[in-house]
Amino acid sequence: MQQTQLLRLALPLVRTHGFTREALSRSVLSLPNPHPQPLPDTAVSALFGQGDDARRTLIEAWLSEGRVNMRSAPSTSLKDVLSQRLRHNEPVLGILPEAFATLATPLGFHLLDPNPALKHAASVAEEACAITQDTSIGPSWYARRASLAAIYTAAELHQFKSPETAYDFLVDVLQGSSKIDNAISDVGQFAEYVGRSWAGIIRSRGIL
Amino acid sequence: MQTVTRNLVRRSCRIARPPQTAGKRFNHTSAKQGRRDAGHTDRTTHFGFQTVPEEQKESLVKGVFNSVASSYDVMNDAMSLGVHRLWKDEYVSSLKPGAKGALRCIDLAGGTGDIALRILDHARENYADRETSVDVVDINAEMLKEGYKRFKQTIYHNTSQVAFIESNAQSLPVEQFPDNTYDLYTIAFGIRNCTSVPDVLKEAYRVLKPGGTFACLEFSKVNNPLFGMLYDQYSFSVIPMLGSILAGDRDSYQYLVESIRKFPTQSEFSQMIQEAGFTTGGLHEGRGGAWTDLWGGIACIHKGVKV
Repeated sequence: MQQTQLLRLALPLVRTHGFTREALSRSVLSLPNPHPQPLPDTAVSALFGQGDDARRTLIEAWLSEGRVNMRSAPSTSLKDVLSQRLRHNEPVLGILPEAFATLATPLGFHLLDPNPALKHAASVAEEACAITQDTSIGPSWYARRASLAAIYTAAELHQFKSPETAYDFLVDVLQGSSKIDNAISDVGQFAEYVGRSWAGIIRSRGIL
Repeated sequence: MQTVTRNLVRRSCRIARPPQTAGKRFNHTSAKQGRRDAGHTDRTTHFGFQTVPEEQKESLVKGVFNSVASSYDVMNDAMSLGVHRLWKDEYVSSLKPGAKGALRCIDLAGGTGDIALRILDHARENYADRETSVDVVDINAEMLKEGYKRFKQTIYHNTSQVAFIESNAQSLPVEQFPDNTYDLYTIAFGIRNCTSVPDVLKEAYRVLKPGGTFACLEFSKVNNPLFGMLYDQYSFSVIPMLGSILAGDRDSYQYLVESIRKFPTQSEFSQMIQEAGFTTGGLHEGRGGAWTDLWGGIACIHKGVKV
């Protein structure tokens, strides 16, 4: 019996018990040979971590399941893949903000830890690019992922406030982002033309 | 069982011995000997940096601990500059005994009662729990006597919360230690002295209840090479010298230092725990991991759960 198996068994319990140590404790009740009682608290700490660390382990497992779930989107379009990820949030929408707050709760002396949120957005963007077979290279590889991470984060935050309009918002932001991409590309091309023309003028004056 | 054991202990400071092993306590490999005579080759193990036949290790280790028993705690303080107390405090605190009700605990190689006392104090002081109990088990009667003496100075003496039992961690008698009995199995700085670590783990699995926790505090491998070098220098130069000065026994402390180096790494030991049937955290250190390093890996807490 692996710890990961117990985590998988605990994930369906998140809907009823939240991201709690109790969900982890009750995972053994779903085994093929179920235990008569939930795991004691000492055992939950031994397997998953002390206090809120166990909850963080569960939350991270749930986020990981969400990324795997993205692969079962109806198509490989970006809209469908990211929508699939947003759908994964629906059963636990009420408790998700608190879960993210738990992840961001500092373990050290700083005020808040932004790393878990950034890592979550980056992981979703990376998974989306892998599923849509993104072929960007060089700087556009990073730009693509940063852009998708920002789009998904905005859509997810919108979903917390207004779940019914979250999918339309996602579509709008994706369209807006492609327009921005085109605009940036046009500006870049224009800047290159201007640069070349200045280089030609300077050479013709004999300066270079 | 605890009342009978308490009476045995009270009668004349005698330590409870499982009857069937009383005459065979120093010959625990007699069954193995029989199998060996049937055609198996002699097996060897390490005793510090020496290689010795398996059946000799137990008596050699017994000799070491007979020698160090009376000064064990003083030497621990001297060798670790008192740090071992912090490690043991963290070890017991991480288990939170008594937090969710009384626990039935067994502490192996717990002769001097260090861990048992911490468990009972933690349960009492933090959770007003006076029902948690600890069976202190050690193969060495001298170490158990030291523990018994320590407990005579506490409020747990002559209560059902503590019992001292002389037995071998590798083969706990089923009559005295039935299957699925304990909620918590602890062993601190003792497992590396056992001849067969897998046998100890197998017995731990047997006596724990489903959902019970195995927790081991042991010296381990230092991860940082520079720190490791300093630690090696300290271990091999200072500790045997302290043994010679404070306890008049350099060789025993030389063995203690060497035995640390022969113990498996954190990852290897975690895999051994898994092979015994326990479920552990991931094979990494820290949160959600199978072990937690203390002071860069000088000591390490391993945990597993019987699922």
